[in-house]
Amino acid sequence: MSGTPRTQVVINYMLLIVFSAIAVYPLVGVVLASLYPPETQPSGFALPSSFHFGNYASAWTSGNFSMYFRSSVIVSVVVVVVSTALSILGGFALGTMRFRGSKLLFYVFLLGMIIPFEAIVVPLYYDLRALRMTNTYWALILPEISGSVAFGVFWMRAFFLSAPRSLIEAASIDGASSWNVLWRVLVPFGRPAILTLVVLTFSGSWSEFFLPLVMTTDPKYMTAPAALSVFSGQHTTNVPLLSAGAVIVVLPVVIVYVFTQREFIRGMLSGALKG
Amino acid sequence: MEQGLLPPLAGRLGGKAPRSDRRPGEPRGIGLIYLAPAFVLYAAFTLVPLVHAFDLSFFQWDGITKGTFVGLENYRSFFTDPVIRSSYLHTLVLIVFFSFLPISIGLFLAALLSRIRIRGLTFFRTVLFLPVIITNVVVAIAWAWIYAPDGPLNSILSAIGLGEFTRAWLGDFRWALPSVGLVGTWGEFGFCMILFIAGVMKIPASLYEAARVDGAGPVREFFAVTLPGLRNELTVILVLTVIDALSTFDLIYVMTSGGPGTATSVPAFQVYSRAFLTNQVGSAAAIGITLMLIVFAVSFGITRVMERGEE
Amino acid sequence: MVARMVRGWFAVLTVVTAAALAASCSVTPGSSRGPASAPAAPATVGVTETGPVTLTVWDQESGQVSKVWDQLNAEFQQKYPNVTIKRVRRSLGDLKTSLKLAISGPNPPDVVEANQGWPDMGQMVKAGLLLPLDNYAKAYGWSTRVSANVNAVSSFTPDGKQFGTGSLFGFTDKGELIGVFYNKTKLEKLGLAVPTTFAEFEQALAIAKQSGEVPIAFGNLDRFGGIHEFAAVQDRIAPVSYLTDFIFGRQGANLSFDTAQNLQAAGILQDWARKGYFTAGFNGVGYDNTLAKFVKGEGVFMITGNWIVADLGQNSTDFGFILMPPMQAGDPPVTTGGPGFPLAITAATKHPDAAAAYIDWMTNSHSDELLLPTGQIPLAKGADTSSVSPDTLLGQVRTAADATNRANGLVPYEDWATPTMYDTMSAAVQELMGMQITPQQFVDKNQKDYAAFQKSRP
Repeated sequence: MSGTPRTQVVINYMLLIVFSAIAVYPLVGVVLASLYPPETQPSGFALPSSFHFGNYASAWTSGNFSMYFRSSVIVSVVVVVVSTALSILGGFALGTMRFRGSKLLFYVFLLGMIIPFEAIVVPLYYDLRALRMTNTYWALILPEISGSVAFGVFWMRAFFLSAPRSLIEAASIDGASSWNVLWRVLVPFGRPAILTLVVLTFSGSWSEFFLPLVMTTDPKYMTAPAALSVFSGQHTTNVPLLSAGAVIVVLPVVIVYVFTQREFIRGMLSGALKG
Repeated sequence: MEQGLLPPLAGRLGGKAPRSDRRPGEPRGIGLIYLAPAFVLYAAFTLVPLVHAFDLSFFQWDGITKGTFVGLENYRSFFTDPVIRSSYLHTLVLIVFFSFLPISIGLFLAALLSRIRIRGLTFFRTVLFLPVIITNVVVAIAWAWIYAPDGPLNSILSAIGLGEFTRAWLGDFRWALPSVGLVGTWGEFGFCMILFIAGVMKIPASLYEAARVDGAGPVREFFAVTLPGLRNELTVILVLTVIDALSTFDLIYVMTSGGPGTATSVPAFQVYSRAFLTNQVGSAAAIGITLMLIVFAVSFGITRVMERGEE
Repeated sequence: MVARMVRGWFAVLTVVTAAALAASCSVTPGSSRGPASAPAAPATVGVTETGPVTLTVWDQESGQVSKVWDQLNAEFQQKYPNVTIKRVRRSLGDLKTSLKLAISGPNPPDVVEANQGWPDMGQMVKAGLLLPLDNYAKAYGWSTRVSANVNAVSSFTPDGKQFGTGSLFGFTDKGELIGVFYNKTKLEKLGLAVPTTFAEFEQALAIAKQSGEVPIAFGNLDRFGGIHEFAAVQDRIAPVSYLTDFIFGRQGANLSFDTAQNLQAAGILQDWARKGYFTAGFNGVGYDNTLAKFVKGEGVFMITGNWIVADLGQNSTDFGFILMPPMQAGDPPVTTGGPGFPLAITAATKHPDAAAAYIDWMTNSHSDELLLPTGQIPLAKGADTSSVSPDTLLGQVRTAADATNRANGLVPYEDWATPTMYDTMSAAVQELMGMQITPQQFVDKNQKDYAAFQKSRP
């Protein structure tokens, strides 16, 4: 035991503050940089003499980020809605019912969680190209749903497994069908777990980079992160403009996270250790 | 940074058998119907491409004209092509930065912070978890700016009198890879901290008291009580971070494009580069499959080792 | 009943999946496409279609040149109101990555800037993705507008097997060349005259370094710049005929990169890097950044191409241009250069005649006039150069280009030599200049790439 409790408390808080500062600095730095006059070099520590919000307007209009943003919204919303629904259905089945092949199917889905994207991106590209589906939103939506559903089914199954049996019993005694049990009873009960899944799926889909990079060369269908990387190659000397674009791209994820962080982190911590 | 957050494989992997039976009147296979939509999409866009990847890996193909069958040639290159070999060696370095460093930091801080109640823990948790959730491309752009020859890192070094250490970090043959690795450490340490702090709080105080009665100091306490108590969390974090390190693509593509030379090339980047830049599609598919097998092996290895230690 | 149905579905699903897997396991990927057949000679030149025509054009122009392109596009659409030009701008790196995939996939562009050489144009010709332009060349006079070796560089045999001869697959009348830009003020300040021999140039570098200046402004983060630095030195040591034959692959495996001259050139380049003649930390500095700094006065010399004239100002009196000085004063002019990006027509286009008219528009004398101030050198025979005074920066570039062209001293870009040479050489130059490999190892790496390609050619 070193030092008095008071010193220890002070040291602990200082450590927390230092690490927190390290955690946010890059993001704060980028936001600061986006407010500098265009084509200048932000120092990274000082505020600019005047705030140039015009960088955001430039990025949004002439930088075309409004178009990329729209694509990202379309893709991510569809992916989140469909993937969550399918995961709930699948997780419900694997978590509350016994049927032939359920164990095998569970392992098949488990496999999907550890297959790295690099293993399938190449054939996926050439297959979709043969189907003339590259450069469409479907080329992004369908593989993303496929990838997130493997984890989603696993996650919802774990949740349903831990649901109190009494809840389900009570509903069945009332003669409810499995469909009603699921949507009327279990889903309301499972809001935290579902919320966590939604946030994870959304952030994964919004931030997805490799897939759009490969599948979409037409700027009309590119989602924000891939477009940002192309943009960064074309604007190496205009750091403030690039930073404004970066902030636009990351804002939705940060907002969703901040608004749900309490429940989300709690859900992550408990879910991470369940079987 | 945990896009596509991967499986918490700790504990009861096999899963318990579901407890309730089907409701009366419903067909026996109702579960299959519920599962079908998810399975169809999953099979069509993950499993089928995977099989197709195996197929492609046995050919030499430029993506456009007809390919030629070459058997295991693409896999043999794992042993003969120095670029592929070095790309895997680079992931070993990244594992140190993505896994060992953040875990050590997390453990150290969790041990230190466990003894007192922390006011505003929610605030700190929110902030510390931020790097995990931020889009990779944005992280890469932010850090590329930090590492720039006239960026903040060099400014700090000059300001505190370490001016001779300034350099073009991402263009330096020796420092480019560790620089990218450090970004990974930054991205993962918050997650580790939060998970470990939460885990430590679950360890019953009685265990600590028992250790103290035995005369253990804080270091002994750590190894005898804290560490074993964090076994589940450790397994989860280890698997997640190691897989992250093995499949890194976004950071490399945006920050260094595998350079300078091939100093920061990693398998995922080789897959991209060969499939779409140099028209070696079969080789790209083979590297992807090999990477997957390594990920499998590592995941199972880690969980097996951690489970065995439980006895 | 439902149970039986469901079990049936499950069984069917399994069978179908297994069948699909089995089927996909035995398929050879890809399809053989023969070389594209040449479109017939047009009866009249210009756009003859009357219905709406959309031409999608991919290019990598930026800065001033890009603005002129916008103007030329607008004028073309005015001339032919039924034609809409859809322009897609990319960076050079992106163009190299996405172009081949884009034109072989669904919805390809109609007209593209196709990089000459084995890696890009060669692959596209072999896969039958570009149209042979010989008939258009005759109709529009492209074959007589420029000298034969300008068109040779954009030519391949239709089966894609030989480079530098055969059918024409792309046309341009603008040229590029690599040389040494210098900051006049700095030279004066250092008491140096403009170097006329290689030895004088090296001396100038040493003196600049001693005085604390950056001798050569250079940033190689983007990788392509290094190849130009190496070529600039190599061109003064290795004979032109060897270089041209090597790059065109004219003597197959009889030529090797492993020569005493290439070794010497590599040694000199590495020596300069070791002596700190280049921008500090150049492997981590971007090209655009370096250029911006050179314009603002950082760096005595910059070894790059004529495309930066627009940024320096065509009438600039602060900067000058020379070719890399020869070993002996009075040696004939030699440098890397030649035609710039040619415009090519993709095989999948639905409007080949309109595309050809567009190409002619972008390469006629009107376009030459508009693009001249940006530093783009017209290679058209009898191009009007009277508007440019030889004392200005642009004038110096023009004079050097004309002299080299007349002496047949233009060496093509070395990264055109094999399909993978760009990757191999750019990485190898980074390693050479970063002291990671010896000159012999540098030479070996490039030779390995070259030999493998020559062996694979039937």
